Amino acid sequence: MSDIKTLHILNKPPEHPRTQQCLEALNPGDALLLIENAVLAITMSVEAEVAVPVFALAPDVVARGLGQSPRGASASLVDFPVMVNLTASAQNVISW
Amino acid sequence: MAATPPQHYTLVITGAPYSSQAPQTALFFARAAIAAGHTVDRVFLYGDGVHLASALSAPPSDEAHWSTEWAAFLNENNIPGVACIASALRRGLVNESEQARYELSASNTLSPFVIAGLGEWVEGTMTSRTLYFHSGG
Amino acid sequence: MSTLIVIDQPPYGSWAGREALDMAFSLAAFDQSVSLLFTGAGVNWLRTYQDTQEIQQKSVERNLAAASVFGVEAIYADEAASRLYRLMPDNTMAGVTVIKDRAALLRQHSHVAFAG
Repeated sequence: MSDIKTLHILNKPPEHPRTQQCLEALNPGDALLLIENAVLAITMSVEAEVAVPVFALAPDVVARGLGQSPRGASASLVDFPVMVNLTASAQNVISW
Repeated sequence: MAATPPQHYTLVITGAPYSSQAPQTALFFARAAIAAGHTVDRVFLYGDGVHLASALSAPPSDEAHWSTEWAAFLNENNIPGVACIASALRRGLVNESEQARYELSASNTLSPFVIAGLGEWVEGTMTSRTLYFHSGG
Repeated sequence: MSTLIVIDQPPYGSWAGREALDMAFSLAAFDQSVSLLFTGAGVNWLRTYQDTQEIQQKSVERNLAAASVFGVEAIYADEAASRLYRLMPDNTMAGVTVIKDRAALLRQHSHVAFAG
């Protein structure tokens, strides 16, 4: 059993209205997984703004040229198998 | 990360191919889920996602063909691919019976995708973990 | 198992909200617990006196009025968004519960879905 209550999967860029709604909905015990356009949030160190673990989907990070550049300290890069694990073990999943 | 107990998934795709990354993210996710021993009960196409089931898309040869890649994956793993009938008919995705019913000039549903009602999605929400793959905006 | 369908897109400019409403009605038709949350620009669904004759679309106000008949348990509106779009009791359709804490509402449902 995972200790993640709700896994929030976000795929919108940082300025999309749903991004703000997602960040406001994070509760202690949740986790945030950034995929697709949402990985751009790591350039703004979004993981420093939120109080939950932040993961970013590596293929999307690398594709956008963010694989090498200095990133925020604590977003963990994950691959699809880990994304599957996160979704399989979280108590709930919300796709934003 | 420790392996997790086998999970049943329903994957809902609402983003269209070539308008969004949704169908490809969902495909890579589905491949990884199967490889990890999980079960994908069904893939449900909703809203603009129904375009994935079109047999008539012809992207340039140096681009991935997401419809045929999805169709091959569904066939290999015996997974039902269902396009919502209301979304499909509005957007010009029809099968032979709907072609006959509405007296349309052609049908264009790519096998093994089928067209059915939202009940398929409701069933998924009741019996499996339902994940959504939306347009990235 | 309880589902919250979230509509955060305004009416008429896209079909996502309509298709979200169809999802809610479909769950209700199968006797599943379902509620609707309107947030962001989606709260504009809830305004009264929508007259859609000239854009030749069906009024979502009329569609939504049928929600309780179909078995949708509750219609929630985000308070901050309602204030932003100047939705007051006198121009908001009946039967809407205004909520302050979106995060708590999401937590109360085991399944949350956006239409797109």
